[in-house]
Amino acid sequence: MKLVINGQEKELECGNISELLSGLNLNKNTVAIELNKNIVHRQKFDNTQLKDNDKLEIVKVVGGG
Amino acid sequence: MDDKLKIGDFEFNSRLFIGTGKYENLDIMKKAHEAAGAEVVTVAIRRVDLNDKSDKSLMSFIDTNKIKILPNTAACFTADEAIRTARLAKAAGLPNWVKLEVIGDKKTLMPDNEETLKATKVLVKEGFTVLAYTNEDIVYAKKLEEAGAAAVMPLGAPIGSGQGILNPNNIKIILEQAKVPIIVDAGVGTASDATIAMELGADGVLLNTGVALAKDPVRMAKAMKSAIESGRDAFLAGRIPKKLYASASSPIGDTIK
Repeated sequence: MKLVINGQEKELECGNISELLSGLNLNKNTVAIELNKNIVHRQKFDNTQLKDNDKLEIVKVVGGG
Repeated sequence: MDDKLKIGDFEFNSRLFIGTGKYENLDIMKKAHEAAGAEVVTVAIRRVDLNDKSDKSLMSFIDTNKIKILPNTAACFTADEAIRTARLAKAAGLPNWVKLEVIGDKKTLMPDNEETLKATKVLVKEGFTVLAYTNEDIVYAKKLEEAGAAAVMPLGAPIGSGQGILNPNNIKIILEQAKVPIIVDAGVGTASDATIAMELGADGVLLNTGVALAKDPVRMAKAMKSAIESGRDAFLAGRIPKKLYASASSPIGDTIK
């Protein structure tokens, strides 16, 4: 399945967001996710299914002023 | 003495908000936060690097029992980007407030007030406590306040420039008319800059670079803490008016001849 993650096209096999995150080695408790410009809350990662051409933003907290 | 800073539903003893960016390393940052007596620190929200698996989490260097994390929308250039960033910060588990920053010019990082106002309206409606970064401009300060901003944050000087408080009179005008707390944000390069902001009557100061890039950030954080406390005390104490001529402190008469 083709996904656009943080502006990069990726070919990945995963059903839901939790599976995507573990495939990417990301800790679900340290990221926030926007799927096609809508926020997906952490408790919904397990049951949010992904489909071809979905666009995701995966963000984390970094240093800033 | 009870002199708490109240922003929306939140209350603080410290009036120094400090950043988490540009430090040489996170240990120094943590020590600087401690020296500053910080109760609020700002963070940014960015895309994860899918190719970088090193997971040195900034969050593990912030004592969230003492410190409330204030996410910013730095580097957003439209209201839409800023709104989405604020929502992501909340979804990341951060408190339901935001330092709203919408930039209009890359070189000066001056705010786009029109977009900031737009984003303020949307985020306030969504229940965010909005602290809006803006120019030292009374008109937009009022508009942001009317739109529901819980605090207005006029800049002292461009972000990271360390130029100090360039327009004290404009800040004073905002302070005279404001009904919400005014936090001077950006431009503070050294302790006296922070004191000047507080002596004008600012409710607080937000800074990052002035501490993070000082030769000794921990010592500068300590200096900023006392500068802000001194400035606040001087403001509350009420300074004497400036006079053109001298006024002797010792009795004029009865001197020996």
